[in-house]
Amino acid sequence: MNEYLAPLWISLKTVLATTAITFILGIAAARWMSRYTGKLKPVIDGAFILPLVLPPTVVGFGLLLLMGKHGWIGKFLALFHTTVVFSWPATVITAAVMSFPLMYMTTRGAFEQVDKNIEDAARTLGASEWRVLYSVTLPMAWPGVVAGTILSFARSLGEFGATLMLAGNIPGKTTTIPVAIYFAIQDGDMKQAVYLMVIVFCIAFASLAALAYLKKPKPRTRGVPVNAAPTDILYAGRKKDNPS
Amino acid sequence: MLKVELKRKLLDFSLNVAFSVDGETLGILGPSGSGKTMTLLCIAGLIRPDSGFIQLNDRVLLDSSHKVNLPSKARNVGLVFQNYALFPHLTAGENIAYGIRNRSRQEVSQRVQVLIEKMGLDGLQQRYPRELSSGQQQRVAVARALAPEPEILLLDEPFSALDSLTKEQLEMQILDLRQFYKGNIILVTHDLAEAYRLSSRIAVYESGGIIQCDNKAKLIASPANLTVAKITGFRNLLLGTINEITDSHISILVPELGTLKAVRYKHSRLLSGMSVTIGISPEYVKITNHPGENTVYGSLSRIVEEIRGYRCFFQLNSAQNTVYQLDAVISKSDKNIIPTLGSKVHIHLPPEYLVVITH
Repeated sequence: MNEYLAPLWISLKTVLATTAITFILGIAAARWMSRYTGKLKPVIDGAFILPLVLPPTVVGFGLLLLMGKHGWIGKFLALFHTTVVFSWPATVITAAVMSFPLMYMTTRGAFEQVDKNIEDAARTLGASEWRVLYSVTLPMAWPGVVAGTILSFARSLGEFGATLMLAGNIPGKTTTIPVAIYFAIQDGDMKQAVYLMVIVFCIAFASLAALAYLKKPKPRTRGVPVNAAPTDILYAGRKKDNPS
Repeated sequence: MLKVELKRKLLDFSLNVAFSVDGETLGILGPSGSGKTMTLLCIAGLIRPDSGFIQLNDRVLLDSSHKVNLPSKARNVGLVFQNYALFPHLTAGENIAYGIRNRSRQEVSQRVQVLIEKMGLDGLQQRYPRELSSGQQQRVAVARALAPEPEILLLDEPFSALDSLTKEQLEMQILDLRQFYKGNIILVTHDLAEAYRLSSRIAVYESGGIIQCDNKAKLIASPANLTVAKITGFRNLLLGTINEITDSHISILVPELGTLKAVRYKHSRLLSGMSVTIGISPEYVKITNHPGENTVYGSLSRIVEEIRGYRCFFQLNSAQNTVYQLDAVISKSDKNIIPTLGSKVHIHLPPEYLVVITH
């Protein structure tokens, strides 16, 4: 039984760590880029979103070159007699790289919708930049931030290609659910594959339900204009009904 | 005491202003896009001018020559935005409390309560901005700006989004503010009447510069130039030349109409022979039956009925092609003195209301 459950625990650990990392990095990058006006804006913006467009195997291969024995990061880590290739942290790194663009894009969109005058009002009332962020910008952009978090959570749960390239398939160590399903089918272990499939299905469904629930304005924020634009990504190609 | 000197290049013009406010209400009057709001944002530290100097009481907020630029949060400046910019996710009470720092919970709620009462917001403390009328939102915005006890209050077109009745009530409230707020106030507006009612001095802006900054009565009595005269409501503008200056009067020769006299004010820097424009507000133009001093002859060409009076347009006699038009407002109670359309009458321009504007 433990053998069956191992991929679930590894995936949950990986997904939670990844979501925490992308949540913080995504918000930081989104806030930086939503006010950065330099010439490099399109370049930086593109670099942040690139992993979303590239095939996962390409990203995985790139990370492998970077972190392998002869890569910059690999050489740096070797100084401390450590390596990330084919280890559990590798699953977190790949999942974070792959899910970061979703958090970044959605959050940035939500930040850009926040009326600059309202943030400025907080500044004239003596608020520090940090207080402006957590007491004004984040609460006002909250529906978008939640949507970005759940999208990146879902993306890291489903991460397969890049993870396989960098973390490999070491049962009990780096084998996440998607990787385990793939190898279970290859080995003809249909029982394990179906078992894991049902688990993934439940998690995915629960996270979408959570999104629908969290997107609804809470009673405390009743009457606040619902910031619908950032979640448009969920409705791509479909006509979105009027928010609120 | 606030001292301001600002320079900033903008797309179409550059802002270049200098003025000071000393415990009073200064009205900044000007058309949209003349740099009024920009001035407020510079004082509040939200926009950085190319160069400038701002001193508020004994603190220097900005001094570009000494690389001093206090951030907004350290300036202690209250700003009420044109769209109020209330925090939509906080209640009216929480909005007002936002800027009160370093106080105990009890002191904060006391201060909020005081402001709620003074701004007439009783019972609305728990409402979210969305649940308030725009007049109430504006009062919350003013209370929020006053809560940290700012040394200056900046109001950016505070009444532009309100209906006239609400506007009237809120103007009274701003006037009443003076009873408990002794700091400086700057009011930005494009409405002369509003600026006149609420402020003691008025600075007239045009394309990024101040064309006149004076006591409000003086601004109306002696506009510095034609633009100010037009903004302050002078219509009947006639071109002429000064032909005599006495201690009390100035005589101006207007071609074809004759000589008109205006009362001379001490501050005027007028010289004989100067070409000037004279103007008079429509309310002071009088219809009389006989010719006399400062009287011109013309025919009534048009009558427009307004709420509180009739606006009469007179065509003045002229031998050549120049057509002069005079515009008079006759109150409803004087309806019987309005002649029939097309008839000729004498029109008196009282010397005490004739204003001489240099070019």
